[in-house]
Amino acid sequence: MKLKAKAKNGIVKAKVMMQHDMITYDQAKKKGIKPNFITYVTASVDGKIVYEASTSQFLSKNPILKYKFRGEKGKKLTMTWKDLLGNTKSSTKKIK
Amino acid sequence: MQRRKFLSLGAVAVAAMIPSSLSATDYRETKPDTWTAKTVDDSIKKLYGSGKLIEKGVKLTTPDVAANGGAIPVDISSNIAAKSVALFQDANPESTVAVWTVPENGLVDYSLKIKMKASGTMTVVLEGLDGKLYVANKTLQVALGGCEG
Repeated sequence: MKLKAKAKNGIVKAKVMMQHDMITYDQAKKKGIKPNFITYVTASVDGKIVYEASTSQFLSKNPILKYKFRGEKGKKLTMTWKDLLGNTKSSTKKIK
Repeated sequence: MQRRKFLSLGAVAVAAMIPSSLSATDYRETKPDTWTAKTVDDSIKKLYGSGKLIEKGVKLTTPDVAANGGAIPVDISSNIAAKSVALFQDANPESTVAVWTVPENGLVDYSLKIKMKASGTMTVVLEGLDGKLYVANKTLQVALGGCEG
């Protein structure tokens, strides 16, 4: 997971690229594999949630998400995703 | 029906007591029906109930013609104090794309890339803290479908 966060005037702009195939039910049927896609993404600073999304199979492959929240420089931003098969991955980056 | 109403009232009361910073809602678990609904109207009803949709205050930006249906950039922004935001489209087998919960320090300014099988209409519904539902629509052409890939 590639994560970037930059603070300016109390507003943090964050960008994340999650490596995931995002296989839809249609694609899975055609290829004879299991559907699997990211279903839930959260981001938090100091244990406080700043971004939260429940997602479906219609996000692009290796989805890129951008968002903004109120926050400060120097704090650590942690992002976690969960997919349909129950895999999770998380990544932490300092806000620049 | 009585019981269902009572339960939903209880859920609202509990939700009101928890500070928004601690809230964590996985809409896949709390509203599983939304994700299998086949039409936009149905999905909205399953997620938010049958409230009146107000067409203002939400900005939805996408290209008019998307060359690649596998990754269509979508931007959603709004100044309305929101509780949650949901994105739908009518080209794929199921309608719901994503549902965001807006936390205390969160701003409604989201960008993402989505897949669309064919040309269609995207719909964003914003649930305000005032309980009203705000909506924006955008119809776009998709040159090459992105779900077969």
